[in-house]
Amino acid sequence: MREAFSNALLRLALADPQIILLTGDHGYALFDEFRKRCPEQYINAGIAEQNMVGMAAGLARVGYRPFVYGLAAFIPIRTVEQIKLDIAHDDLPVVLLGDGAGFVYSHLGTSHQSTEDIACTRAIPGIEVLSPADRFEMTAAMNYAYAAHGPVYLRMGKSDRGDVHLGPTGSLKPGRLLKVRAGCADRPGLIATGSMVRAAVDVGQSLDLQVWSAPVLKPLHADDVCAAARASNGLVTLEEHSVFGGLGAAVTEITSENQPTRVLRIGVPDRFSEHCGTYEYLLREHGLDTDNLRDRIVAFFKLVSSNSKVDGSN
Amino acid sequence: MSVILRNQPDQRFAPDRMRRTVLEMAFAGSTVHIACAFSIIELLTVLYRNHLRYPGNDPRAEGRDYLVLSKGHGVMAQYACMLELGWLDYSQIEGYFKDGSDLKGLSDSRVVGLEVTSGSLGHGFSVGVGIALGLKRKGRDQKVYAIVGDGELNEGPIWEGALVAAHHQMDNLMVMVDKNGFQAMGPTDDVLALGDLSAKFSSFGFETLEADGHDEAAVDAAIRQLWATGTNKPKALIATTVKGKGVPFMEANNLWHYTRLDPQSFAEAISALDRTGGTQ
Repeated sequence: MREAFSNALLRLALADPQIILLTGDHGYALFDEFRKRCPEQYINAGIAEQNMVGMAAGLARVGYRPFVYGLAAFIPIRTVEQIKLDIAHDDLPVVLLGDGAGFVYSHLGTSHQSTEDIACTRAIPGIEVLSPADRFEMTAAMNYAYAAHGPVYLRMGKSDRGDVHLGPTGSLKPGRLLKVRAGCADRPGLIATGSMVRAAVDVGQSLDLQVWSAPVLKPLHADDVCAAARASNGLVTLEEHSVFGGLGAAVTEITSENQPTRVLRIGVPDRFSEHCGTYEYLLREHGLDTDNLRDRIVAFFKLVSSNSKVDGSN
Repeated sequence: MSVILRNQPDQRFAPDRMRRTVLEMAFAGSTVHIACAFSIIELLTVLYRNHLRYPGNDPRAEGRDYLVLSKGHGVMAQYACMLELGWLDYSQIEGYFKDGSDLKGLSDSRVVGLEVTSGSLGHGFSVGVGIALGLKRKGRDQKVYAIVGDGELNEGPIWEGALVAAHHQMDNLMVMVDKNGFQAMGPTDDVLALGDLSAKFSSFGFETLEADGHDEAAVDAAIRQLWATGTNKPKALIATTVKGKGVPFMEANNLWHYTRLDPQSFAEAISALDRTGGTQ
C-alpha cells in the first residue's frame, strides 16, 4: 500500500511539474525514488509543520500543486488552523497526506498516534477526506486527490493488512461506498474505512455479513448509505479513529435524517492509549481486535433481531 | 505642467487622508483596532506609492507584487489604500460592518486586493514565504512584502518561516515589522520581551535595517537600500512606529486597540488630524 502511494505520487509528479512534495522531515525511505527522479519537486520544509502548511498555501496561490506529507499526528492535527484558514478558506488545491494514522506508532505513545484527524478535517468546510483501505484504493485515492483541484486530506493508516479488493477499484466517486463482500441481508451490514476494512472482511466472512468500504469519507452521500441500511438488518461502522466525528458519525448523520436505522459505531472509545505494545496489542486495548469485534457484532445482531420481533417490522 | 508636478509632494496615499478614512470607517462600523491601523499608515503609503506594482491597476494581475498583511488587525489602513486605488468605493467605507457587507474587521483573502486571511496571527507570513518561494522557482521578478506586528512575533510559525526564507535564499521577500511596542494586553516588553529584533532577524539570515516607520523618506530609503544589497538573503525592515500615530490622544495609548469611537471622540480625532495636518 505504501508502494502504491509512492508510485502514484511519482507518476503524478512526473506528469505535472507543478506538483511539489513538501515534507516535515519525514518519509525517509518512502521518497527515495521521488527524490532521485524529481529532485526539483521535493522540499524538506524542516520540522516546522505550521509554516509548511502556510507555505503550501502560498505555493498554491502562485499556481503550484502542493502535496504536504507528515504523520497524521502533525498533518493535519498540529496544523488544523493553517488548513482551515490558509488552505480551505480559499479552496486551494493542496493535498494533505497524513501517514501513520490510528495506532501505527503503537510503541511510541500518544504523541504519534492519531484518532481525531477525520473528525477535525471533516468539520472544515470544503475539504474532502479520503481513507483508503488497500493498495488499490490508495492508487485510486491519489488520482482522486489530484483531480479534485481543491483541498483534500488523505489519511494513511496501517498499511500492511493485505488487500480487500481483488484488483483495481476504478475511479473513486465522491460519496460512494465500495461493496467488498456480499452476505446475509437479514444480518447487520458492515461499513468500514481504512485499516478496519480488512478486519470487517474477516468478521464478515465468519458471520456471513455484507461489507462496504468507505474510501471517501467526505463527501459521503446519502444514497449509498441508505441503500446499505435498506439491504441490511442494522449497520455497524468500523474505524481506527475516535467514535466521535469519524465514519460512524458520518453514517449516523445520514441514517438519522434519511433512513432511521440502528447503527453500532465501533471505533476508538473516548480514551488515550494506556500502554505501549504491538499494533495488535493496542487494538486489543481499545477493543478493536477481531475477537472483540465479532462479539460486539454478534451482540448487536441479537439486539436488532429482538427489536425487529418486538415491533413486528422486517 | 510636469515641472510643477515634480516640485509638488506626491499626494497619493497621503497619510492624513488615509487616517481620516480609517476614522470614518471605524466610526461608521463602530469598530476597534484603530491604533493598529494607524501605526502602519506610512509603511503602506510608501509601499503603494513607490514600490508595489499592479499591472493595469489590477489587484489580481498575475504579475503583481504581493502585499501580505500578516497583522490583519491593521486592515483598515489597507482599505484606505484600496479606496485611493479605486478598488473600493466610498459606500463600502460608509457601510463598514453593515449586515451583509464584504469588508471584515481583519484581513480576508476573499476581499479582492487583500492577499491573506489573517488576524489569527502568524499565518500570513508563512503564506508569504510560500508565495515568495513559488515566484522564485518560476524565475519571476515580483516582490513579496509581509507586514507583521511586533506582538505577532510571539507566534512560533513566524520563526519557522524566517528559517525557511533564509534557507531557501528568498531574496524577493521583505518582512516589515511594525514595531509599535504594544500588543493586545500591554507593552510587548511587559508581555513577552522581544529583545533586539534586528539582531534576531540578522542571526536568522536576513538583511536587516531599522527605520522610523512614520518617516516616509526614511522608510522609502530603507526599502531601496535593502533591495539594493544584492545578496540572496531575505530582507527585514524593523520599522519603529507609534501605535495610534496621528491622533495625539490615541498615540501609545493601548486603549485604542479596543476602544470604539463615539460622536465626540470621532470629532476630536478628526480635528486633531486637521491640526497636526502633516503632509498636506
